[in-house]
Amino acid sequence: MTEQDKAKRCKELVEKSKEVIREAFKQFDPADTAITWTGGKDSTTNLWLVRQVCVEDNIDLPKVMTIDEGDAFPEITDFLISTSIKWNIDLRWRCNFDVLKCAQSHLGNIVEVKDLNERNRAELKRIAFEGDSFTFEAESQAGNHLMKTVMFNQFVEENNTKAMFMALRRDEQAARKGDEYFTQKEGGYLIPEHTRISPILHFTERDIWDTTKLYNIPYCPLYEIGYRSLGARTTSNPGEVGVPAWEQDIENVPERAGRRQDKEQSMERMRKLGYM
Amino acid sequence: MKNVILLTIDALRKDALGCYGNKKRLSPFIDSLQDKCIKFTKGQASGPYTQASFPGLLTSSYFLEYGQPKGLSPRRTLISEPLSKAGIVTAAFHSNPYISGFLGWNRSWDVFYDSMEEEVGDKIPYVTGNVINSKLTEWLSSYTKEEAYKPFFLWFHYMDVHEPYIPERKYIDMVDPSLTISEDEAYSLFKDTLLKRDVSDVNKVELLKKLYEIHVREVDTYTEEIFASMEKLGVLKDSAVIITNDHGDEFNEHGGLSHDDKMYSELIDIPLLIYGAGTTGVCDTLVSNVDIPPTIVHLFGLESVEEFKGHSLLPIENYSSKGCFGEAIDQRSKRGGDIEKDSYFYREEDFKIMYRANVDRWEMYDLKEDPQELNNIIDLSPAAENLKGKLKPRVRRWLSQ
Repeated sequence: MTEQDKAKRCKELVEKSKEVIREAFKQFDPADTAITWTGGKDSTTNLWLVRQVCVEDNIDLPKVMTIDEGDAFPEITDFLISTSIKWNIDLRWRCNFDVLKCAQSHLGNIVEVKDLNERNRAELKRIAFEGDSFTFEAESQAGNHLMKTVMFNQFVEENNTKAMFMALRRDEQAARKGDEYFTQKEGGYLIPEHTRISPILHFTERDIWDTTKLYNIPYCPLYEIGYRSLGARTTSNPGEVGVPAWEQDIENVPERAGRRQDKEQSMERMRKLGYM
Repeated sequence: MKNVILLTIDALRKDALGCYGNKKRLSPFIDSLQDKCIKFTKGQASGPYTQASFPGLLTSSYFLEYGQPKGLSPRRTLISEPLSKAGIVTAAFHSNPYISGFLGWNRSWDVFYDSMEEEVGDKIPYVTGNVINSKLTEWLSSYTKEEAYKPFFLWFHYMDVHEPYIPERKYIDMVDPSLTISEDEAYSLFKDTLLKRDVSDVNKVELLKKLYEIHVREVDTYTEEIFASMEKLGVLKDSAVIITNDHGDEFNEHGGLSHDDKMYSELIDIPLLIYGAGTTGVCDTLVSNVDIPPTIVHLFGLESVEEFKGHSLLPIENYSSKGCFGEAIDQRSKRGGDIEKDSYFYREEDFKIMYRANVDRWEMYDLKEDPQELNNIIDLSPAAENLKGKLKPRVRRWLSQ
């Protein structure tokens, strides 16, 4: 593809995303929406897009939230701070301090369920976790739920958020193939009802980098040294060390090859085994 | 005998095997082993699907005993634990996400391959028996290179009989060369008929069953291949091999398909063969899959494990028949199942009683007179009250009182 074709494609992709965002602002008061931001390439592109629409249409930027899972790369934290300053964002940090306290902020420490507060205990019950303790790891079943899902749900609940802009891409994994731009999440015990909006659903990993470069969207320096996908520090590894993400064999090597697959694979396969 | 090998075949119906009376010759290799085995004719699973049955098979405990966690409860004793404590090398090869490392089933194994790092196809969410065989052989040949290798416990599990039932042409040809069905057609049948549990079209149900049977033939081939490899490596002569399933599968025997939470024979009856343990013959005693871990421990000559709920099947003359129990929850009601929709069975000799909580319904069958379980005798049998009394203490509704 020539540079010109590439630029044309990026512009089309961006236009499509802006359409989705404008549709969202038609359906929801921007003040009732929020944006999740991890500091990764997808969520930064997502944030940039929503921000562009807000600037163009003279709308106040929705709340922006990030979740600290207790195992973040310092580079990501620095990036979140510096970009927030640059874009004048009042970033809302969320962290399940209760779990962190019980784990003495140390990965691999054992968290005793009885030491947790009532909400966390109720959440564990809700996911049918019945052990007396669990190891503090971002990707463990209990840890993942308490550190990420619970913080997300609490944010939605406390801010009375009606819709969340999220950075899901259809090509990320087979499970997302059929995803839609707008997904209604039913409410339930401890889960507030909300709509999830995915403006960059149609982007591929390559598109993200092309767009990032074309529009000078900031990105975390870890991508320069070889990381292609950033999750928790202990579960993410670089693809090709020393080779920037956008120069790697994106088309042939799985993006998350450097991330622990067990969880996603297991969940998806369980679903496919026919128990709907 | 030095090693113990456990082969479990997912969703394999007992009555699909020739050695248990099937006339279609779907399992010539497994059938050929029966003269060198003890064959149990009344084996019972402790649950009708993987998550409900494997606690019995590998931890000798029951599904709902420790609440209803998604993962393996730390309070259960996994067979790998007492074995590795005793210095036995433990290895596992399978492709079922419900018993994967992610859910904690990798505890205490020296080698645990669950295929979750593997890319699998869009339609069939597991690796085939071929892959299991090749991973296993690779490990086995390198491990047994040293002549004085330490005894090992090896568990492997084939998924191929499990839906979506999309058999390869070469296996179709082994069973019915006249059958023409494309991969897409088979997949549509799975999605539109099986997943919807739609039994309205008899022909479709028949076709599903046929595809299922072709997979039984396929798995028999994998079994033959792995036995050949083990023989070649000189392992077989030093090993006892237990062959069983985790549960069966339904083809409209009781109004449904696949394996949900029912407790009828097509799901609960298990094939159970023990090869190379020094004894052969047929055993008609009622036994449960919770007896398998204690049997493994016994075969290694270790002291019995206190936490195990079952009893060693060997030596056979010391085994006294006990009632068999199983439990499940309806998985389709909610993600992860609805705790209020629990169901149970209890069997003594040929009488089997079942209880389904959400509709508060009891059923009882005399399996000798009515092996298909069509004639509910709960209100007629004088034995009903006695059996009810034995099952009730295990049912949540009465447990909480």
